[in-house]
Amino acid sequence: MNGMQSMRITMQALLVKALAIAALVPALAQEPAPPAADRSALDAEVQDLRRQVVDLNRDLFMLEEDLLFPASTQVAVFVSMDVGTFFQLDTVQIKLDDKEVANYLYTARELEALKRGGVHRIWLGNLKAGEHEIVALFTGQGTHERDYKRGATLTINKGVGAQYVELKISDRLRKLQPEFVVRVWE
Amino acid sequence: MLAPWLVSALLAAVEVPAPGSAAVGLAPVKVQDLHYGDVLFQFYKHDHFDALVRLAAYRDQGRLKAHARDAELLRGGLYLSLGQHREARRIFEELLAERTTPPAVRDQAWFWLGKVLYASGLYADSERALRAVASTLPGKLEPERRMLLAQGLMYRERYDEAIAALEGWTGAPEWTAYAQFNLGVALVRAGREQQGLQLLDAVGQLVTENAELIALRDKANVAIGYAHLQGGRPAAARLALDRVQLAGSQSSKALLGAGWADAAEGGFQQALVPWLELHGRGVQDGAVQESFLAVPYAYAELGAIGQAVEYYEQAIASYDAERVRIDESIAAIRAGRLLQAALATQGDGRQGWFAQLVDVPDAPESRYLYHLMAGHEFQEGLKSYRALDAMAKNLSRWRDSLGAFDDMVATRERALTARLPAAESRLAAVDVGALNRRRDGLRATLEAAVAARDVTALATEHEREWLALLDAVDAELAAHPGDTALDDAREKARLARGVLMWRLDEAWKVRRWQAERSMRELDAAVYEARTRQSGSSRARQGAPERNAALRQRVVVVAPRVAALSARVESAKAAHESYLADIAVGELESQRRRLDEYSVQARYAIATIYDRASAQVPSP
Repeated sequence: MNGMQSMRITMQALLVKALAIAALVPALAQEPAPPAADRSALDAEVQDLRRQVVDLNRDLFMLEEDLLFPASTQVAVFVSMDVGTFFQLDTVQIKLDDKEVANYLYTARELEALKRGGVHRIWLGNLKAGEHEIVALFTGQGTHERDYKRGATLTINKGVGAQYVELKISDRLRKLQPEFVVRVWE
Repeated sequence: MLAPWLVSALLAAVEVPAPGSAAVGLAPVKVQDLHYGDVLFQFYKHDHFDALVRLAAYRDQGRLKAHARDAELLRGGLYLSLGQHREARRIFEELLAERTTPPAVRDQAWFWLGKVLYASGLYADSERALRAVASTLPGKLEPERRMLLAQGLMYRERYDEAIAALEGWTGAPEWTAYAQFNLGVALVRAGREQQGLQLLDAVGQLVTENAELIALRDKANVAIGYAHLQGGRPAAARLALDRVQLAGSQSSKALLGAGWADAAEGGFQQALVPWLELHGRGVQDGAVQESFLAVPYAYAELGAIGQAVEYYEQAIASYDAERVRIDESIAAIRAGRLLQAALATQGDGRQGWFAQLVDVPDAPESRYLYHLMAGHEFQEGLKSYRALDAMAKNLSRWRDSLGAFDDMVATRERALTARLPAAESRLAAVDVGALNRRRDGLRATLEAAVAARDVTALATEHEREWLALLDAVDAELAAHPGDTALDDAREKARLARGVLMWRLDEAWKVRRWQAERSMRELDAAVYEARTRQSGSSRARQGAPERNAALRQRVVVVAPRVAALSARVESAKAAHESYLADIAVGELESQRRRLDEYSVQARYAIATIYDRASAQVPSP
C-alpha cells in the first residue's frame, strides 16, 4: 500500500467514525441531559438560594411599603388598557392637587404588557385625608396616526384606608374613539 | 481525529428548545384586583423575578382575593420559569389537592405539573399529568401540551406513540417543526433512519421568514446531510446540505459536509469549493480546522502535490498559532476573566443572542466563548452563574437601602415625639360629645315639627321676623278689644298672617325634604368627626408600637441579607471554578485535537516526500 492510498483510507475511516458519532448524539434539547453530580449539588444550592432571595425580597417589599406609604395615607394610581385599537399610548402624566407627581413614557414592551391585561402602578404616594384632585393627561396617537392628547379629572375623598385609582383607556366602538375613564377602587 | 469536535458541534446542532419554552404561557384573564394586574404587567414585560416578588407580597397582604387560584398558577409557572422545579411542583400539587379548585384551573394545574415533571425527567409521571387535562387548554398551552406529550413518549423510546401524537396535529408551525425535528433525530438515533429522515426532511424544507425557524431548518438539513453521508448516499447528502444558508451558524458544518459529499463521489475539484470557502474562516471553528486538512487532501488526490504540501504546511502553522492562542485563553480563564467576558454578553436567551457571540472581541478571555456556549453543560452553568450574579446585585441594593430604612424609622419616631403634644391638644379641643348632643337636639326639634306639621318651625329668618312682628301686632290689638277704630288693622293683620301661613304651607314639602337631607349630612359629618377622632386617637396610641414593630422588622431582616449575600458569593465562587474547569477541559481537548491534526499533517507531508523520492530514478 503506498502513502497516498494509506492517507485516503485514513481520511475515509475518520469520516465514517465521525458520522457514526453524529448518529449517536443525544437528540433533544428541551430536555437537558442529567446533570453531573457536582452540578446537581450546585443546582440545588442555587434553587434554595433563589427561593430564599424571593422570600427576602417579598418581606423587604412589604417593609418598604409600610415604611414609606402607610395604609392610612397610601394612594396608588394604576393605568390599564382595554384593547387600545384607537389609541397608541406614549405618555401618561399625573397631577395631584395641581402638582406633577408622575410622567411616564411607555416602551413597546410595556404597551404590549398593558394590552395583554397588565395594569401599571404608575404612582404610589401619600395623601392626607380629605378631598384631592387628580388630573391625568394621556398623550399618544389616535386613529390615522394623528397626535392625540386627552385629560381626565377626578376628585377623590381620601379616607382612613389605602385608596386605589384606576385610569382606564378603552375603545368606544360606536364613536371609533378612545375613552378615558377614571375609577376609584375601595 | 474528527470525533471530539463533531460531538460538540452536533450537540449544538440538535439542541433546540421549543419556542418560548423558557416563558410561562398564561390563559387570558379579566383583572378584578388591580394588584393582580400589576403582577401581570411585570410578568408580560418579562420581569419574572419582580412579578414573583410582587405576587408573593400582594398575596400575603390579601390583595389578590379575586384571583387567588390564578395567582397560584402564575406563581408556580414563574417558579418553573426560574428553574425552581421543587417549589413549582409543590404549588401545583397543592392546587390539585384542593377539592374546590374549579375544573378550568385544575386542567391548567395538571398541565403545569406535567411540565414540571417533564423538566425533572419524570416522563411517565409527566405523561399521566398531561393526559389528565380534561378539556382543550387555552391559547398556546394546548400545542405545548401536545408537544410535551410527544417528546416525553420519545424519551421513553415509544416512538410510534410519539409519531401518532404528532400526526394530524394542526398546531402552530413553529411547534410542529420543533417536535418533528426532535423526533426525527431520535428516530435516526434509534436506527429507524427512514422514518427519522422523513420527519427531518419536512423541517428541512420549511418555507418561512422566521429567523428561529430558518435556524432550525438549517440544523435539520445538516442532520439529514450527515445521516445520508453515513449511509453512503452522498448525492442525497449534498441536496440537503445545499439548502443550508451560507451565513448561518450551521454553514461551516454544511460546507464541510458538502465537500465530503463531493469527495465521496470522487469530485475532489468540486469539494475544494466549499472547503476553500471554509479555509478563510476563523480557525477556532472545528469545521475550519478540519478543512485545513481536507484541502491539501483534495489537492493530493488531484495530483497537485506542490499545492498539497503548501496547504499542509499552512495547516501546521495555523494549528501551532491556534495552540498558542488556546494557551493564552486557558491562562485568562484561570485568572477569572472568562466570566467577566461571558457576563458582558446578552445571554438572556433572547432571540439572536447566541449568534451575536461570534462578534465578541478577539481577546484571550472571550475568543472561545461562542464555542464554549455551544455546550449544554457550560450554558446551564452560566445561566446559574448569571442568576447568582443577579441575586448578588439585588442583595447589595437592599443592603444599601437598609441603612435608609433605619433612618426612616428614627425620623418617624422623632416626628411622633415632636408632633404628639400639639396633636393631642388639638384633639382635646374638639368635643365630639357636645356635637352629638346638639345634633340630637336638632333632630328632636325636626321630628316634632314634622309630627305636628308645624310649618313655622321651618320658616326662614325673614319669615320669622314677620311672624314675630305679626305676633306683636296681634298682642297690641288684643290689648284694645273693643276699639272699633282698629277693626281695619285687625283685618289687615289677619290677612297678612294668612298670606304668610299660606306661603309657609306651600313651602313645607320642599323645606321638610331639605331639612331632612341637611340632617342626614349632619349625621354623616358628625360620624366622620367621630371616626376621625377615634382613628386619630388609635393612630396616636398605636404609633409607638408600630414604629417599634417596624424597627424590629428592619433589625431582623439585616442579618438575613448579610447571610444570604455570603452564601450567594460562595455559590458564585463555586460556579466560577466549575465553569472554568469545563472551559479549560474543552480547550485542552481542542488543543489535543490540534496536536493530532498537526501530527497528521506532518505525516501526510512525509508521505508525499517519501513517495516523491521513491519516484525519482536512482542515478
